[in-house]
Amino acid sequence: MALTPATAPTASLAGFAALLRDHGFSVGVSEQQAMLQAALRIGGLRETPLAAAWRAIACHRQRDWRQWPELFERYWHPERLRGTVKVSGQTRPRRDLRQAVNELQQQASGDSAPQAQANSSATAGDAPASDSAQESPRAQGGAGRVEALHNREGQLWLPDELGELQRLARQIHERLRPRPTRRWQTANPGRRLDLRRTLRRSVAWGGEPLAPAWQVRRTERPRLFILVDVSRSMESHAAFFLRVARAFAREADARVYVFHTRLAEVTALMQRDSARVQEKINAVTAGFGGGTRIAACLQAFAASDARAQLQRASRVWVCSDGFDTDEPQALTEALQSLRRRGARIAWFHPTRAAPQAMAFTRARGCIDSCLPLAGLNDLRAAQHHLH
Amino acid sequence: MTAAAPEQALREALHRVGYLADPELATTVWLAGELQRPLLLEGDAGVGKTALAQALARANGATLVRLQCFEGLDMAQAAYEWNYGRQLMAIRLKEAQGGVHEGDVFQREFLLERPLLQAISQDGPCVLLIDEVDRADEAFEAFLLEVLAEYQITVPELGPIRARQIPRVILTSNGTRELSDALRRRCLYHWLDYPTLAREIAIVREAVPEADARLVEDAVQLVQRLRREDLSKIPGIAECLDWVRALHRLHPHALPEDMAVLLGTLGCLLKTREDRFLIDAERLRQIAEGPRQSGVAADMKKAPAL
Repeated sequence: MALTPATAPTASLAGFAALLRDHGFSVGVSEQQAMLQAALRIGGLRETPLAAAWRAIACHRQRDWRQWPELFERYWHPERLRGTVKVSGQTRPRRDLRQAVNELQQQASGDSAPQAQANSSATAGDAPASDSAQESPRAQGGAGRVEALHNREGQLWLPDELGELQRLARQIHERLRPRPTRRWQTANPGRRLDLRRTLRRSVAWGGEPLAPAWQVRRTERPRLFILVDVSRSMESHAAFFLRVARAFAREADARVYVFHTRLAEVTALMQRDSARVQEKINAVTAGFGGGTRIAACLQAFAASDARAQLQRASRVWVCSDGFDTDEPQALTEALQSLRRRGARIAWFHPTRAAPQAMAFTRARGCIDSCLPLAGLNDLRAAQHHLH
Repeated sequence: MTAAAPEQALREALHRVGYLADPELATTVWLAGELQRPLLLEGDAGVGKTALAQALARANGATLVRLQCFEGLDMAQAAYEWNYGRQLMAIRLKEAQGGVHEGDVFQREFLLERPLLQAISQDGPCVLLIDEVDRADEAFEAFLLEVLAEYQITVPELGPIRARQIPRVILTSNGTRELSDALRRRCLYHWLDYPTLAREIAIVREAVPEADARLVEDAVQLVQRLRREDLSKIPGIAECLDWVRALHRLHPHALPEDMAVLLGTLGCLLKTREDRFLIDAERLRQIAEGPRQSGVAADMKKAPAL
């Protein structure tokens, strides 16, 4: 492909798109084109509506929506961020949203907009790592990612082991008993005649029921939520738990969250099929290492993150050593809140014996299964308790 | 600056028909029209998703076509169906006149238009509301893709039927099921949250202008605090409006001091037995009294501008 080098504004936009993709957004060529169109219509002088317009284009789900303000500020206004540590000595590239959009408008009026759009598409879609990696704040020598990758213990998996893990995840998912609902759905063949639809169809043949419609009872597999503790006390175990969670995200469509003192959903990252993504997840979570507020995170999970989807027979798996800095009673209340919504809770701990933390021992009665998980053998043994 | 803020003009138009949109939402709705893209609104029940579509139709003088999704919804109920009765009658008539051809009965006039086909057949402006799309099956989502991307419906016997005028499409979802990536990527997205205190007071004042200002402030503040409780069904704006109307009829000036009286009206807000059990008189007193120290004015200052 013979492409002219991307101009500065489109390169900025492509860099922004790459940053969004790094955080699990689905921002492809069409989204960038729409962002360009929005920028041309709104103009760079009115940043607030432009940010709102880009947000509507780039976000596709609630998780994206929540992440947006921080990412937008980080990319377009890094000078406003406080507490950022710079260790490389490299100067941060200056980006001016107004200037970038104004230049875009000038390009458009100078009949070069289509070329610019093509450049942006190619840059964003084909090689997000090259330019964007240099411009990404994380490539400036930020602490988390580089340091975390030095310690690769627990992250090196042989292909056989990975295959075995996927197989186990599939088996366990199949063992989760589907729940029959009261509803019937159309199916062929089915058990019950759908009289209404059969009669309706028969009108096409002058009243002869030549094409009967059948129904079967609708069943639903339990929804699976996995919450992985990535606090400092879990530093050496988190990588393994995340690998397990990733297997379930792909095989069982599980929603995966990580937590330490706050909760974050990482399902979108988990579902990508790339070795680099796993490293990225490990690196991101290694950067968390700090205190743990299990109860507060579980309450946030029940109250907002999974509020609409947490229902009867949902499964919530918590992977944690049970060390909590919240009040001991708070964990019990948080778990009771989950149980009130009908969820069944399994707690995976990395040690042989169950955790002895006071909060955990008090809350033990709210947990359906408490299982050790430190390797594939444990997961294999656990499948008999997880149906 | 006259032409500088079309989204502001839309916001004012929505306000005139009784819908108070924040600037971000107004920008998104305006952009959806500009880019001719569907708008996917997600949020808890009762935050004003459906009301936005209705208000948009009123503000633009457009026809509102509503498709209420449910489990088992299929193309015959959503898009079109052949009117078999009329076709049979036409066949009889043609036979009596001498002969019948396939083209005689597979014509547009024999189609029963369901909401999707109605929307793309409109000659004037139209708002298509696809409500609670998460209740429909995955198969229906796949069918929607063609409608939302091309604004056309393909009828095998007739070929594609294209929209005469691109409708403004609004999809709503309560998030009870994950929608497919393909559907999401065809839409602009907006997460509609519960309104801030200041905005909700403004909404209630707009909808119930006869209610006393102090009653509205106290009631809305209590509703906002109730939303922080561990309720299985969080009261939405519609519930809040119902409650204020009920209170206005009972006690026109302020919230009643007697918790038993207040509890009697909570049926407007709490819709499950568990929630009624959770909020007893003592708990309600704590909710009503505790945060009063902070005051409405303090919260109003913190809340973003309308």
